[in-house]
Amino acid sequence: MAKWGMVIDLEKCTGCQACTVACGMENSRLPGEHWQDVIFFQEGEFPNTELKWFPRPCMHCENPSCVAVCPTKATYKNESGQVLIDWERCIGCKYCMIACPYGVRFYTEEKPSYGGPNIKDVFPSDDAHSWNPPWKAPQEDWKHGVGVQPHDVVSKCTFCHHRISTAPAGTVDLDPSDPALREHTPACVVTCAPGARFFGDLSNPNSEVNKQIANKNGVRLLDHLGNKPQVYYLTGVGGSVPAERAIKPKV
Amino acid sequence: MEHRTEPKTFGEVFTLFATLWRENGPLGFARLAITLGKTPTAASRWWLGSVMLAALSLLFVLYQLVFVGHSSFNTSSDGVNWGLAISTYVYFALISSGLTMIAALGTVFGFKQFLPIAKRCIFLAIITLVAGFTVLALELGHPFRMLWAVPTGLQTMSPMFWMGVFYTIDLVLLIIKFYLMWQEDWDSPLSHAVGIAGFLAVILASGMLGLVFGSMVMRPMWYGPFTSIYFMLSAALCGAAAIVVTTYMAYGFDRNAMPERLRVLASGHELPMVFATLIGITLVMFVTRFWVGLWSNLDGLDGFRALVKTPLFHIELWLGLVLPFFMMLMPKLQKRMKPQMVAAFLVLGAMFINRYEFIVGGQLVPMFKGVWTHSLEAYVPSATEFALVGVGFGLALALYAFGEKLFHLSDAPPDTETAEPQRLATA
Repeated sequence: MAKWGMVIDLEKCTGCQACTVACGMENSRLPGEHWQDVIFFQEGEFPNTELKWFPRPCMHCENPSCVAVCPTKATYKNESGQVLIDWERCIGCKYCMIACPYGVRFYTEEKPSYGGPNIKDVFPSDDAHSWNPPWKAPQEDWKHGVGVQPHDVVSKCTFCHHRISTAPAGTVDLDPSDPALREHTPACVVTCAPGARFFGDLSNPNSEVNKQIANKNGVRLLDHLGNKPQVYYLTGVGGSVPAERAIKPKV
Repeated sequence: MEHRTEPKTFGEVFTLFATLWRENGPLGFARLAITLGKTPTAASRWWLGSVMLAALSLLFVLYQLVFVGHSSFNTSSDGVNWGLAISTYVYFALISSGLTMIAALGTVFGFKQFLPIAKRCIFLAIITLVAGFTVLALELGHPFRMLWAVPTGLQTMSPMFWMGVFYTIDLVLLIIKFYLMWQEDWDSPLSHAVGIAGFLAVILASGMLGLVFGSMVMRPMWYGPFTSIYFMLSAALCGAAAIVVTTYMAYGFDRNAMPERLRVLASGHELPMVFATLIGITLVMFVTRFWVGLWSNLDGLDGFRALVKTPLFHIELWLGLVLPFFMMLMPKLQKRMKPQMVAAFLVLGAMFINRYEFIVGGQLVPMFKGVWTHSLEAYVPSATEFALVGVGFGLALALYAFGEKLFHLSDAPPDTETAEPQRLATA
């Protein structure tokens, strides 16, 4: 069984947010509910200041704290190494959101964070779905947290479970440039114009992701916390992984 | 004081209500319910107010939850995930735990002078836990799903799972213990065993509640073994403050109305000393937590610097902990009723701020939240969240007034130590 992982080359990432938009379209996300986001942050103080950015999906950790804290086992790690949510078990206690060091989990029932009208009220649902987007992707699988979620549950990036779970058995690299694999590759990887994202099997030493990690010193975000992300970053000379939270609060 | 008999079985309770209904008719029964009985008692003073508070707040919360949903809360995925509702739950859960610990002074550890408050402590522990669970259930996205998903999930790695297990055991043991006390069984082996098991359960329950926060290494304002200890010991303080306030409430803030042994306890030296000791311990823990937080450079501890700049922090520290501490140490003040009352009220207020400051403060530093979040989180609870606080307090006070009317909460086992010499003297 593959153990899916992602490598993001920060030297190539231009911060264009195409991944964020692709993810939102693919997964029918609410505005502001960015399973995948590019975080912009400022380092240093004027005049020695620099604008930086940092793409951040769910890390699908090897040792996920969100899975450990979930009192109902609604959040689980499947055999391909993805961290998923069973929306039919989730009780909406939000403990997983508390326990995620990367802030990549979202509760459905919230005031809109983007200003403007509440999109859920503009496109209300008349069934168990939390809203009814005017356009939505056809896939729906509540046992794996795929599709438009029901009310009062937590949602998160699935590594596009509906796409990668249909990949041919034995696939090592999900390379979007291969037409046969394109539709089985996560949307953010497919859409990345500079080709900064790689997706493949971390358990196979010959996979492209493992080669990249080994040859270019892949690092993981907040590795000291022990969650052991399955998303690696290549920093090279131009990129950097924030050692702490991306935004240093001003107190 | 009105002299009344306590119904001793569930059958007698139902018979009592049925008789009242038959004798007075539905309207008369409703009138009795509003005034809590024919003759006014101290409990009827806060009964109607608290029922109204609980009912109105609950109606408002239910209206909001049905028509708006949980987006009527001001909590957000970008920052404060757990807001005022969770801190209210923690407040009541730890008051309940503290009351059980105070009851254990008499029933488990053999300090017989504390026996006159034991039954009231156990009753209050039950209803504050019920109030806390009610607030929690209204905060949860799917409270009914919890009833089957937690037992079938059996996620033994989750501190929240164990919190649920031990608070459930705690609640069951409290109910059994209260039933035994109701049946005037104070000394049987079963009663002792239930008391000891209940004390162990409550230590584990409050410890697990501490673990819910203390195990969060990614939230350094909560992280560490200290959190469970902080919860256990500050729970004991909450219990002490709650029993002082509620005991005086039951007797209309008049010591002369109290039974003899209760008056001796209230006007004696031990109660204020226990109270002062618990305030002192909490004060030391509170200050320790803040000075470690303020000194350290660790990313995520910045919230402490923000907290000390808020008025709530200073109200809590100086007015809610330091002032009552000195009041309970001063020989001239500590035994008098008013200073005891004021100190207990201040402590209960301070501990409410404490739970809020602990839970919301611990989430002030945002996780990786990108362009949407620039600095510390701004969080002000919504009207629905404030109404949930009303539900908690209203429910606890209303159930207390009802229990005060129905049961003899100041009952204690016969005082053998003082009774024996008297009998000898009269002989």
